[in-house]
Amino acid sequence: MCGPVKARSIALLPLLLANMAWGEVALAQASVVDEADESIELRRPQTEPLKYPLPEIDPRQVPAPSRFDPRTSIAVPDRWRIMEGLGQKDRWWDPYNTNTIKGDKPYQPLAHWGPDWFLNLGVVSDTLVEARRIPIPVGAQSSQKPGANGIFGGTTQTAVVQTVLLSASLIKGNTTFKPPDYEFKFAGAFNVNHTRVHEVRALNINPQRGTTRTDSHFGVQEAFADVHLRNVSVQYDFDSLRVGIQPFISDFRGFVFNDSAFGVRLFGTRDNNQWQYNLAWLRRLEKDTNSGLNDIFRRWRSDDTFAANAYRQDWPVLGHTTQATVLYNINREGSQKNYYDRNGFLVRPAVVGDVRPHNYDVAYFGLSGDGHFGVWNLTTSAYLALGSTSYDAIAQRSQRIQAGFAAAELSRDFDWLRVRATGLLASADKNPFDGRSTGFDAIFENPQIAGADTSFWIRQAIPLVGGGGVALSGRNGVLASLRSSKDQGQSNFVNPGLMLLGVGADADITPHWRLIGNVSWLSFVNTRVLSYLRNQGSISRQLGTDISLALQYRPFMTQNLVLNASVAWLEPGTGYRQLFAARKRPYSVLANLLLTF
Amino acid sequence: MMLSPVPRRWRICKPAASMAIVVLVSCGGGGGDSVVSLSAATPIDCATNCAQDVLTAPDVERVVAQAVAAAQARGQTATIAVTDRVGNVLAVYAMAGTAPSFRIDGRRGVSGGLEQVNVLPSALAAISKALTGAYLSSAGNAFSSRTASQIVQENFNPLEANQPSGPLSGVQFSQLACSDIVRRDSDASLGPKRSPLGLSADPGGLPLYKNGRVVGGVGVMADGVYGLDLNIADVVADADEILAVAGSAGFDAPLHIRANRITVDGRSLRYVDTSDAGVSIASLTGLPGALVPVAGYFAGVLRAGVAFGLAGSGIRRDTGAFADLGAYVLVDAFDNNLFPPTAGTDGGLSAAEVQQTLRSALEVANRTRAQIRQPGGQAAQVTISVVDSNGVVLGVVRTPDAPVFGTDVALQKARSAAFLSHPGAAAELQALPPANYLVPAATSAIGPYVTALRGFLGDGTALANGTAYSTRAIGNLARPFFPDGVAATGNGPLSKPYAQWSPFSTGLQLDLAYDAIAAAAGGSLATGCTGLNKLKNGLQIFAGGVPVYRTVGGVPQLVGAIGVSGDGVDQDDMVAALGLRDAGLALGTGIGHAPAALRVDTLSLAGGQLRYVQCPQAPFNNSSAQNVCAGL
Repeated sequence: MCGPVKARSIALLPLLLANMAWGEVALAQASVVDEADESIELRRPQTEPLKYPLPEIDPRQVPAPSRFDPRTSIAVPDRWRIMEGLGQKDRWWDPYNTNTIKGDKPYQPLAHWGPDWFLNLGVVSDTLVEARRIPIPVGAQSSQKPGANGIFGGTTQTAVVQTVLLSASLIKGNTTFKPPDYEFKFAGAFNVNHTRVHEVRALNINPQRGTTRTDSHFGVQEAFADVHLRNVSVQYDFDSLRVGIQPFISDFRGFVFNDSAFGVRLFGTRDNNQWQYNLAWLRRLEKDTNSGLNDIFRRWRSDDTFAANAYRQDWPVLGHTTQATVLYNINREGSQKNYYDRNGFLVRPAVVGDVRPHNYDVAYFGLSGDGHFGVWNLTTSAYLALGSTSYDAIAQRSQRIQAGFAAAELSRDFDWLRVRATGLLASADKNPFDGRSTGFDAIFENPQIAGADTSFWIRQAIPLVGGGGVALSGRNGVLASLRSSKDQGQSNFVNPGLMLLGVGADADITPHWRLIGNVSWLSFVNTRVLSYLRNQGSISRQLGTDISLALQYRPFMTQNLVLNASVAWLEPGTGYRQLFAARKRPYSVLANLLLTF
Repeated sequence: MMLSPVPRRWRICKPAASMAIVVLVSCGGGGGDSVVSLSAATPIDCATNCAQDVLTAPDVERVVAQAVAAAQARGQTATIAVTDRVGNVLAVYAMAGTAPSFRIDGRRGVSGGLEQVNVLPSALAAISKALTGAYLSSAGNAFSSRTASQIVQENFNPLEANQPSGPLSGVQFSQLACSDIVRRDSDASLGPKRSPLGLSADPGGLPLYKNGRVVGGVGVMADGVYGLDLNIADVVADADEILAVAGSAGFDAPLHIRANRITVDGRSLRYVDTSDAGVSIASLTGLPGALVPVAGYFAGVLRAGVAFGLAGSGIRRDTGAFADLGAYVLVDAFDNNLFPPTAGTDGGLSAAEVQQTLRSALEVANRTRAQIRQPGGQAAQVTISVVDSNGVVLGVVRTPDAPVFGTDVALQKARSAAFLSHPGAAAELQALPPANYLVPAATSAIGPYVTALRGFLGDGTALANGTAYSTRAIGNLARPFFPDGVAATGNGPLSKPYAQWSPFSTGLQLDLAYDAIAAAAGGSLATGCTGLNKLKNGLQIFAGGVPVYRTVGGVPQLVGAIGVSGDGVDQDDMVAALGLRDAGLALGTGIGHAPAALRVDTLSLAGGQLRYVQCPQAPFNNSSAQNVCAGL
């Protein structure tokens, strides 16, 4: 969701920052440059509008049009049509220029509903080709090849995934100057995925299903109605209510909750948009195992999250937004019968410990920030998770949950280059058998940090125990939380924690090409639970070094056609080697074509 | 136990000697949780303390009295048995009015095999359960008969859909009263002793501990049903188990080594579903009931156990060829090693080759990371047997604290691998008479298993063509589902179809031994379970045995087999497989594994190949080696 937005704002930087380099040359220009600098810095979401110094009046300029000039004062039905008068064509197939079905002009067939009804149709095609090497257990009962005498089998996998996301929204409102009055949106995703592995039973519990799997799914990712309840100030501060399947992100980088769930959400702004708030109830939907999309045809998860948060812009300094949040997660899936995923693996409860079911209640208290202090960009998040679990399958008793999380990314731009330093710490459980679980886990993480889905560690799920039923970390997750599945499993607060220290850079080589590199040093915080589950005496905390390179190509300098490719690998540390066969280093390679209408 | 990690910048390299049994894996650049202490573990070798850890007669009386008092308090009657670690029955006590017999019931409505047999005396169930607790346990793991229940069912965990079967499926038919390696009551205190019903999956059999060491077991039969726990997710008190727990008070297993602290592939095992501590009472005087003699097991007089690890127990530290490896051996009444390395009766293996094979396997075991011992990081404890192609024992060694059940099982595995790899197997099996089931009276023929296997493999010469079978592969073929555990499929050819299958009716394995088990329960002291000289103590159907070949000039010849039992099945498999490989390399006489092309895992079957051997992840302590069995 936030990927394209972020990418677009960063893409402008090289052009604008080019000015900065000259700032040192002439003192006389200093004030102008400073002002330009400031406006550059202000070109961020949720900050004040740009301030451009008025240009000098150039006498050679064409004179401004007169108010009574008949050529320029032809009446048009509304301001949306001004450009038509200048010959601007509205081509239905062109998403980049003015287009009625992209919500740029009122949609006339709906004119009888009243004025200002907009239609916005969207189509996104996401094509992914991925190859990876992760530890894969040999099928327990039967192997793909003779002579498979170990636990770890053929490790390479390939996946081809095609997703087409179709969305339609109807919006009522004069959206240029005030928030829309209504919005109705539906977004459905068709997904076809094909995976090829080298061991039976990696893709399906039944080894007879072989080593390839083709699956498809239609998921409803958004289906909501949004009602503008009222305006509360002349600046159009408002209260709005959104009901239905909608995306919700707990913080700037999606560390605790980043999902599309069914929810009822009251949100709005105050004090000229300086304050923003959300009050939400969200119930998670079951996910389709192989596509990760919502599966609305299954019973909803018995997992509710109540969220309350407030954002304060320009605090403590101009250009920095601070957010305080409380999330309360209530999971009652321990009271339900065992749940098997689409491939036949038990995911609730997770196959760990005595596999007895459990419920839990966790409150997350978070403080996050995003913005810049002068030329330094800083994004931070800190969470405290407090709660209780009715039963822990390892300790075989109830436990109090007391866990913490902190992450920060500091970056600075140098002309066309942004360099970054990242740190992340998720607390670990120190004693799996006591009455406390102190390992941090999220509700549904989808973290945008340290290379995110281009990094090996964050992108790939690495099976740990339970015949692969419990993973060291989930797909598109940074936490080593030992869940059965990030998508379908319950949170698990008895885990080895994670420490990540990384550096990275985004290089806008040309307006078309961007290169992103990240190196992250990864470490567990306490491996006692791993030692216990694997019955190994000592497991080093050193997980390894994750190295990734991603290349982004935007031939039209827009988001309508984006080609991504990335290579990531893990230089295994001692801890990883003690857990898995790693003579050949694990990697993740992908190419991804995004077409957006 | 792992110590809290020392903050790295404060960590100082101390001399290891100052830290007792602390192993400094690395110091300085290593980082991580590199300081490990094994001090919480009871030393595996009792060494000079063996004599202390023994059940005295007052101990035995106390265990029985506590169980009886608990039964009385609950208004129940029970039969209670106590054994020592090597299976000597120290007491059998029948409370007044207790049911004289019990019914075997796998609780799935299956009939055939031992299912629904209801004519056996309750004492046999109690003895089998006590032996199960004693035999499966060690100073590193305390397993109960409830633990056994969890690891012999069609799925592991039970009821976890489509998971492979319990890792020790088939172990229930070991220690059989007809076995030739387990001892009889007439062998005085020497063990290990036979079990009337094999190992029990019916909750109510627990090990007894003193000073962190197994000294025996207690078994209770009160509810009249000898069954198993089908649903391990619930916590349902079992009458037998409550009384066994009450009896064991004061001799309880250390908490940190109980089955519920032991993981197999991340799954914890079950120990008990009750925490009822019962009452402390030391004397049987005045309690209702009496010690009862059980023919072939117990003379009717309460007695003390023997100290495990000393010659009187039949198991002692080796002073011969394996002394340098810390091994223990089985001894006779004159303290002579019962199974020193000897040459094969088929002219295949020399005594030196047998000795080297046992030595190499011991060396592997001593490095192997145990799967079922707590704290983690200990060496696997196993029993190793080598047989010739006729199933004659050529040598047996064990590590000090190997669970006693492995004595019989290691030999079963070796013999099973040797027998089914023998080209004469089909003919010998087809010549056998059918098993004669008791309830309802029926016969179950042996020959059809051969026919079924041949049809299944699409090979009319199977079991007559010299294909090499490991016991892991035999297990794949002997499960009620093929592929193992996958419910949508049919049964393996050596198993009963699922509707007729239960842990009390497994198929070929039980049918081979059925008549001998029934005869022994009726008082027979005969040895030989199957009518086959090559399988005197019964067929075993889980991993840990591989055949041994001598390949000269590219021509392989079956010369025997090696069987290992005592730790996780992958560990057992690895000790056998790498032990044999290492011995072959050390000897250079052509001894080794079957050529890869001869192994049964080369056969193409729907659903993938059979498995020949599977070695564990992180196989060795203090090493990050992985996949060490690749290219075996």
